[in-house]
Amino acid sequence: MLTVEHLSLTYEDGTVGLENVSFSLTQGETCALIGANGAGKTSLMMALVGIADFRGRIVAGGVESEKQNLPLLRQRVGLVFQNPDDQLFMPTIFQDVAFGLQNMGLPDDEVRRRTEGTLERLGILHLKDRSSLRLSGGEKRMAALATVLAMEPEVVLLDEPTAFLDPKARRRLIGVLKGLEQTMLVATHDLPFALEVCKRSIVLTEGRAFADGLSEELLFDEEKMDQGGVEAIRRYG
Amino acid sequence: MGNIRQNTAALYTLEQLAEGDTAIHGLHPMAKLLGTLFYMVMLISFPRYRLGMLAPFVFYPVLMLSLGEIPFKLVGKRVLVALPFCLFAGLSNALLDRSPMVFVGGVGFSGGVISCLSILLKTLLCVSVVLVLVAVTPMRALTASLRRLHVPGVFVSLFEMTYRYVGCLMEEVSSMSAAYALRGKPRLEMRHMGAFAGQLLLRSYDRAERIYHAMKCRGFGGSMIGETAGKMSAGDWFFLLAVSLSSALFRFVDIPALLGGVLC
Amino acid sequence: MHMADALLNPAVGGVMCAVSAGAIGYSVAKMKGDKQAEKKLPLMAVAGAFVFAAQMINFTIPGTGSSGHIGGGILLSGLLGGPAALLTLSVVLMIQCLFFADGGLLALGCNIFNMGVIPCLFIYPLLFKAIFGKKTGMGRLMAASALSVVVGLQLGAFGVVLETTASGITELPFGTFVLLMQPIHLAIGLVEGIVTGGILTFVWKSRPELLDSVQESAAGVPVKKTVAILAVAALLVAGGLSLAASGLPDGLEWAMEKTAGTAELEAEGPVMDAAADIQEQTALMADYAAPVDSEAASTSIAGVVGSVMTFVLAGIVGTVIVVVKKKRVKA
Repeated sequence: MLTVEHLSLTYEDGTVGLENVSFSLTQGETCALIGANGAGKTSLMMALVGIADFRGRIVAGGVESEKQNLPLLRQRVGLVFQNPDDQLFMPTIFQDVAFGLQNMGLPDDEVRRRTEGTLERLGILHLKDRSSLRLSGGEKRMAALATVLAMEPEVVLLDEPTAFLDPKARRRLIGVLKGLEQTMLVATHDLPFALEVCKRSIVLTEGRAFADGLSEELLFDEEKMDQGGVEAIRRYG
Repeated sequence: MGNIRQNTAALYTLEQLAEGDTAIHGLHPMAKLLGTLFYMVMLISFPRYRLGMLAPFVFYPVLMLSLGEIPFKLVGKRVLVALPFCLFAGLSNALLDRSPMVFVGGVGFSGGVISCLSILLKTLLCVSVVLVLVAVTPMRALTASLRRLHVPGVFVSLFEMTYRYVGCLMEEVSSMSAAYALRGKPRLEMRHMGAFAGQLLLRSYDRAERIYHAMKCRGFGGSMIGETAGKMSAGDWFFLLAVSLSSALFRFVDIPALLGGVLC
Repeated sequence: MHMADALLNPAVGGVMCAVSAGAIGYSVAKMKGDKQAEKKLPLMAVAGAFVFAAQMINFTIPGTGSSGHIGGGILLSGLLGGPAALLTLSVVLMIQCLFFADGGLLALGCNIFNMGVIPCLFIYPLLFKAIFGKKTGMGRLMAASALSVVVGLQLGAFGVVLETTASGITELPFGTFVLLMQPIHLAIGLVEGIVTGGILTFVWKSRPELLDSVQESAAGVPVKKTVAILAVAALLVAGGLSLAASGLPDGLEWAMEKTAGTAELEAEGPVMDAAADIQEQTALMADYAAPVDSEAASTSIAGVVGSVMTFVLAGIVGTVIVVVKKKRVKA
């Protein structure tokens, strides 16, 4: 469903963002992307939706990442940004969710049906005419997720989805994400969250895929995690 | 424009009020917008000495505020913003123009005092009706009617997006100033202003870039699709006509003199 | 600098709205030709929000203890280019007017012209780019910013004087008004100019590619064309304003009233049709020697009583509605 081969990425100032990263996810697989700050998680996400320039090969939902394919690729792969305020730029939540669908050229009633359906599914239909100005962190996160899910992508990328969330909102998000059927790649520092939502984990260190394995094993492996620059989850008792 | 926190709060208050569900809120945004504009044109077309005829104009804001469930005290806060220059102009009128013009019970009032009072009353009324407009009309409805009035789409979209990010940046400024104040001087020094605002600006640039990326991810191709207001119902037309006709009536017929004439 | 509605007459407001709408239309057309326009929309929005928020930062002016804040026109032009800056600033002024009562709604045309059109479409291409364009440098950027803001603010303040005087609501003699406004705005302009220069040099040092004049330094400025546009715009504004001033008795009679003081009295029956009323006002305006007789005094008493009655009535209506609404909520 998502294949990444020999992906490398260098920033404009010459620093290396990613170096020869390869992995692939099967249909419906859920994978966490773990790594210290600056390990290249966000860069990888940006490359996957064709925003950052890269060397290597990305195929998502059968679409090769090439310039002329980008609009199609972005329908297949949806990215939920780290800061919902960046993603919610329209006057109302409804318009925000409808934005992508309108750009896909769907007829108005289809746009309405899908937008309201998605909001309903995420339990925020009552917010549809509100502006994002006065929403709580949890509500904003759900709305940002809705803007992506409404486009019915086959792969969902999430960048730090639990940032700015209180425990209750975090719990709700976990519930929603567990119910999704899409292939998912989640960049996060929140290991307990990764453990709950993602079967698989990849540890990224200084732009390289350092370790790759089942979350319930890898995330507890103190030695490996320490080498990867991340703190493992402690087992108690 | 003083306190950032107060202003942010004011913005949120208006946002909240505009989501109300009174009959006034339900009116078509275009009817409210055009009605307000017509009312204001009638009001400010009074020459400076026409104080006597201004009184009936108070009905429209009073009715709208009370029917729309908008707290009257909000008017006061906003008048304070508009007041300084109007007060200056009004008082200079009072000082410069001292020839007695009107006698009430043997006491003479100069033309300057009359025109000063009329400026102040006009200020109060103008500020009130603009407040009423934004407090009973959600932003999206307002911009939808701008599109209906053929204001260029780019401009309306820009208006919507700027409004959207005003709240975000005010919060950022607010916490930056707090951080500055906590480390020393209560108020920013001028020599730090370039770096302070420049820093905020660069961050804002990065934000603009991320927003652009978010738009691209959802298929943005250069043109924004915005909501356009629908047709006005018979009730909306009635409202617009009522506001316009009453303003015109108050403009050209001296109701207070009539009323006073009956009583005196 | 933000003009309020109460000091304006509709003719002046209308003329300035038309002029500013034209300038906005011109800028929208310019933007459509810009290949970067698509990317610019979010940038303009955030830059607008930035100016809005940054204007709320009060800073201490050294040696005075008073506070200043930044202006927007030249800063935005330096970042976005003239036409995009004008659109952005117009939007900022609209938001200030609607949500914060800073500047009037009918006065928007005036405010957009004084604070947007002048700096963005004239001062920036003609003055700023002449100093900081082909030749660059820290000193040049500082000088270009400071000078442009000062000149822009002087012209803007003069615009305020012209528009206010043409509206004929204030009694301030033109000369006195000019003498009051220009020096104050010279001081404000110096402060704003230095701060604007500070911000632009900060940006230039950290990310020079963000400055508009750096992006298109090769393009050069069509000075002749800009001067021609400037001349046409000046003629339009001057013509429109004088038309507005002379079209209304109030503006025309201004000088006369100032010297003699005018008596405008309600001497006739209060119910008149519109045309007659306007005629009567014109007549009364000119008749500055109207005697104050007892009949006029009694009508004005009636007027005062009537006005008070009207206010009381409006107050009662308002209170009743509020009380009834509250009761209904409780029930």
